Amino acid sequence: MHRPSLALRVAVLCYVGALVALPLGFVFQQALSHGVSAFVNALSNAEMDSALWLTVRVAVVAVPLNVVFGLGVSLWIVRHPSRFSRVFDTLIDIPLAVSPIIVGLSLELAYAQNGWLGRPFAAWGLQVMFSYWAIVLASVFVSLPLVSRQVIPMLRSVGTHQEQTAQTLGAGPVRIFFTVTLRSITWATAYGVTLTIARVIGEYGAVLIVSGNIGFRTETLTLNISNNFENFTPYQGFVGVSLLSLVSIFVLLVLGHARHRERLRHEYRT
Amino acid sequence: MSIVLKNITKHFGPDLVLDEVSDEIPSGSMTALLGPSGSGKSTLLRIIAGLESLDHGTVELHGRDVTSVEARHRQIGFCFQDYAPFNQMTVFDNVAYGLKVRRIGTAQRKKEVDELLGLVRLSDFGDRYPRQLSGGQRQRMALARALAIKPEVLLLDEPFAALDAQVSGELRVWVRSLQRELGITTILVTHNQSEAMEVADRIVILHEGRIEQVGPPDQVYDKPSSDFVHGFLGPLTTWRGVAYRPHDLQLCDVDAGPRARVVDVIRLGFEVRVVVESDQETTWVQLTHHEARQLNPVVGSWVSVRPR
Amino acid sequence: MRRYASALTGHGARGLAVTYLSLVVLIPIAAVVTHALGNGLGSFWSALTQPEALSAIRLTLWCAAGGALLNMVAGTATAWVLVRDRFPGQSILNALIDLPFALPTVVAGVTFYTLYGPHSPFHVNVTGTWIGITIAITFVTLPFSVRAVQPILEARTFTAEAAAATLGASTLRVFRTITLPAMLPAILTGTGLAFARALGEYGSVVFISNNLPYRSEVASSYVYSLATSGQVDAASAVSLGLLVMALIVLIGVNVAAHRIGRSQ
Repeated sequence: MHRPSLALRVAVLCYVGALVALPLGFVFQQALSHGVSAFVNALSNAEMDSALWLTVRVAVVAVPLNVVFGLGVSLWIVRHPSRFSRVFDTLIDIPLAVSPIIVGLSLELAYAQNGWLGRPFAAWGLQVMFSYWAIVLASVFVSLPLVSRQVIPMLRSVGTHQEQTAQTLGAGPVRIFFTVTLRSITWATAYGVTLTIARVIGEYGAVLIVSGNIGFRTETLTLNISNNFENFTPYQGFVGVSLLSLVSIFVLLVLGHARHRERLRHEYRT
Repeated sequence: MSIVLKNITKHFGPDLVLDEVSDEIPSGSMTALLGPSGSGKSTLLRIIAGLESLDHGTVELHGRDVTSVEARHRQIGFCFQDYAPFNQMTVFDNVAYGLKVRRIGTAQRKKEVDELLGLVRLSDFGDRYPRQLSGGQRQRMALARALAIKPEVLLLDEPFAALDAQVSGELRVWVRSLQRELGITTILVTHNQSEAMEVADRIVILHEGRIEQVGPPDQVYDKPSSDFVHGFLGPLTTWRGVAYRPHDLQLCDVDAGPRARVVDVIRLGFEVRVVVESDQETTWVQLTHHEARQLNPVVGSWVSVRPR
Repeated sequence: MRRYASALTGHGARGLAVTYLSLVVLIPIAAVVTHALGNGLGSFWSALTQPEALSAIRLTLWCAAGGALLNMVAGTATAWVLVRDRFPGQSILNALIDLPFALPTVVAGVTFYTLYGPHSPFHVNVTGTWIGITIAITFVTLPFSVRAVQPILEARTFTAEAAAATLGASTLRVFRTITLPAMLPAILTGTGLAFARALGEYGSVVFISNNLPYRSEVASSYVYSLATSGQVDAASAVSLGLLVMALIVLIGVNVAAHRIGRSQ
């Protein structure tokens, strides 16, 4: 077992420092470049607040949907393996290989007024495209497998002996789920949920296409940031950027903690 | 020609793992470093091989101080507990590795590897990959790989620990005879007393980083120098406050000495273990099958116990 | 056991899961495929081979390859340092590796644009060049390369390395003959994932690239401009092309990694 030389350590620190740490520091430097009071003022920018609020409203719907879906399909795929569940296992990974722009395009094609799914929804009086629901759809699409990716391997490695023991001790299915199964996958789930939240809050390309990017209506925080840069108000943009960066740092802390608690797979396929 | 260890001391962080360990290992001997886990025996072996640094002390191989010599220049054959197979190479390439490093020509290399594979009875397995071998075969491959560099010293770290009882038993006999045949100075690390007794001609007992006793198997077994060695080398039981090996006690008629009541009789094939209870303690006495048949101890009956 | 699990994932729940996946993913993707191929293979091919499309795809492939290969080396070195080295602040370095994954792509995009754009504090302007695009891609794909290799290094105690050392091998030889072959499948997988991700990258690239057609327009930008100018069939065709390329890379890498890893 050879320890790397000092030169390699320094080279790696420089590489990661220049590529990752420098931009992160730069974000906060820019956001605070006009002083703290200017930053606080910029925080109450009406359009940004509206965008922030929309992002939160999208997340509170999209994240729980995908968490329930992810846990459910993980249980199904691991505990009831069949040819069908294996196909399903592969299909839920599709979003990992698709560009956000293609996600947006595909939703636009399917949910346009004359699209396969847009037409029936329009008949019920619901225009999906360029609405809140289109943003939810795009967010759900891009973050769909993030929970199951973490939970499936954990469920496999834990096995069924604990659940069977609980069963012999007289516990019912619901009790077993909450006291045994869920406990063994707590950190894997936490990891997946955190990834889902990060992805939903940060989605840009897909949302850009399906939302219509209408100020105060379908403008999420990421769109607001990009609009600020295109409208030559970069300072306001960096205020939004710093907010999202703070969220990212929080996400990193949670991921690090979850990984520390449990040996989780490092699966990066988004 | 021997291995001389002088005052070897090693800390892992704040933990003292080896405390002034000194020993002289005679050339051609088969020495077992025996001790419970955490006694420092594996660390000592790795220090001899140069795989681990030491805080102070010296290691001499055949009169040459190698303390600051890198592992790759020590000319030592080392077999790891997990056999450390080179998984991406065939068995042949595994054994050839050290020869390739030494720039031995292809023809000569092939000849030597073939000989070694024959020696460890793996001639037909040269094209296989390590994962296609059984545990015992992998062990022999590791041995051939270590022997390929014609080492002056062979170090074996828990060589039989990962094998099932039967394979382990066969390999012990084989390794012992191979070592005698080659006459190579060998050190073997084990936590298993019977393995050490069976294979080694010299046993070094380590406990908490110190050498407790050194000697031939008979001697350390019969004349343990401390309570620790006494207890570690075999089961102990107490009778009237004194520690005995269970087979050093015998059962007699009830009026022949101090009384005890039989509370359990456990038949273990050739041996029979009789548990007796006196007012002082619970004692167990090991009888041969033959003795048990003569005495026929019955649960609830009264007997007396005597040292043999 | 079966009864317990089916209580939670009975037929009704299963149907719901399939419906959910279909509504969100399967039907929309099928719509892309239909639009791409709906006018015949000829028009699919001509949409893919438009000069602007070819130039965007070529640029994307080059920059993706550049970023992925750079991270193949740098990411492996980073994983190596993270596992084998010990120094203060190491856990911060470890956490930072995940940042590109946690940070919204648009945040990375505008930050790189400000750092290395026309108003760069370092007076380095790489907007509209392949260099800017490759920097963004290198940033975004760093965690793929590092995290693919890191667990392999952590999981194996590598007594094989010590064994090679006792057989006389030098540090470099141990790395070349023992360590590197053991890491190779993971390195390949990580590089493949990074490359596939880079093929579709948009948010982090779009600002610094300036989207100049024939010069600095990446494939996803081109799809976006087609989609927003009503050319949805052409957009779908290029999308399908990108999807197929990503798929080929992922499958190819998996097969290669499996071949190499099979003996291990």
